[in-house]
Amino acid sequence: MAGAIQDLTTLRNATRPRRATEEGPLVRWALILVSVAFFTAFLLLPLVAVFAEGLRRGAALYLQTFTDPVTLDAIRLTLITAAIAVPCNTVFGVAAAWAITRFEFRGKQFFSTLIDLPLWVSPVIGGLIYVLLFGSQGVLGPWLQAHHWRIIYSTPGIVIATVFVTFPFVARGLIPLMQAQGVAEEEAALTLGARGWQLFLRVTLPKIKWGLLYGVILANARAMGEFGAVSVVSGHIRGLTNTVPLQIEILYNEYAFAAAFALASLLSLLALVTLGVKSYVEWRARQQLEESQS
Amino acid sequence: MSIRIDGLSKKFGGHVAVQEASIEVGTGKLVALLGPSGSGKTTLLRLIAGLEFPDEGRVFFHGEEVTQKSAYERRAGFVFQHYALFQHLSVFDNIAFGLEVRPRATRPCKDEIRERVHCLLKLVQLEPFAKRFPAQLSGGQRQRVALARALAIEPRVLLLDEPFGALDAKVRKELRAWLRRFHDETQITSLFVTHDQEEAFEVANEVVILNHGHIQQIGAPGLIQREPANAFVHDFLGLDFQI
Repeated sequence: MAGAIQDLTTLRNATRPRRATEEGPLVRWALILVSVAFFTAFLLLPLVAVFAEGLRRGAALYLQTFTDPVTLDAIRLTLITAAIAVPCNTVFGVAAAWAITRFEFRGKQFFSTLIDLPLWVSPVIGGLIYVLLFGSQGVLGPWLQAHHWRIIYSTPGIVIATVFVTFPFVARGLIPLMQAQGVAEEEAALTLGARGWQLFLRVTLPKIKWGLLYGVILANARAMGEFGAVSVVSGHIRGLTNTVPLQIEILYNEYAFAAAFALASLLSLLALVTLGVKSYVEWRARQQLEESQS
Repeated sequence: MSIRIDGLSKKFGGHVAVQEASIEVGTGKLVALLGPSGSGKTTLLRLIAGLEFPDEGRVFFHGEEVTQKSAYERRAGFVFQHYALFQHLSVFDNIAFGLEVRPRATRPCKDEIRERVHCLLKLVQLEPFAKRFPAQLSGGQRQRVALARALAIEPRVLLLDEPFGALDAKVRKELRAWLRRFHDETQITSLFVTHDQEEAFEVANEVVILNHGHIQQIGAPGLIQREPANAFVHDFLGLDFQI
């Protein structure tokens, strides 16, 4: 038996083609073909379809979508949500990355793992925990009601749910960058008399700015596109608690296909712009890291 | 005495980095901390700069105790082995940094800062490079910018951590001679870390030899070479063939 296996191995080694031929034209082209086919079928075509569907009934109808007051309210709410959630998570992300890369404290590993939590759990659960916490049947529900505060089925709930799902992006982008850069420049600044905010604004921030921007862009894209978590806490009140993704679903369910796709194309456009800016920022961040290591 | 450390000890976890070290560095002296890697010399220098805090012992600058003061209060010029220049700032702005972060009351005006920086650029022979960025300089040039940057704050003492460690042999030799001349001109009390005995003996007025966090011997280069205090110093200096 052992002999047979050995024979097989030798045989395979003997017939195993050289590395150079392994990556020969046939395999190379096959791989490229498969990747491109998948890319086209699953990414490019749907993207084109979104724009094509939106524009099928003509540009006039397309543009008309964006004059509908309910849709405008949805766009406004999405912008407000992102405008609150993204800065919150920027501050939090910088603070967390700073704490994790610069200090030693008990439970650091646990904390660092916990930051990723929103990436593992389904966004629906992200929404649900806040309903359980702040909803009328929730832990804090009676107290909130007594003070006439409304969180669930209202803007605060949407913002909180969005903060939850976009929580990891900035911190996750910064931690590896700050770990790689080390503290030498900060120490130098310290011996030169800089302290606290000076240290952060004059030394750390310029070093991490591209990495930070990268995280902010990703967080923003997610904040504007989030469906699941927001859907749970929103209550789908038209013109009040509908964000763009929720509005798209409503339009679609009401057979307003042209409007749904027109609005969807707006989100897709955001994604494309994000992708473009992201590539540029990624390139700059890499450049900055290389510079600091040269 | 410009720098006096008294019974300084530092542990990292269970590892003893520095054990009851006491050194006095006279005003205007250039002293070398010499030892094999891992002997605690860099830790000792960082304790003096305030980049680490000792478990025990005290640090004095010019008679004033600075043990509990943080690095930004100590005004000790520090030159890092890998320069630690601000990559996003030009040579000029690197050198001006220490002046620009001063509180408004003691901050020199713009013209004054410019003048001081140009003076320092001249001192380190880098006048034409003011507008360059650190990435555009050679290793030796970067090290000189780092030195000028440390000097800009008019430090009470100058601390250099393996200042030539990352440079190739030829530049090393040149910079060493230059540092010697530079020290003769400025007379600033300096302490530098090195693992290269040739460097220590050639440049310093006095050499402190460390091993495993313990000071083995302190003395003038000639004296140490003539009368090594113990077997370690004897072996470390490779004196066998001379006896």
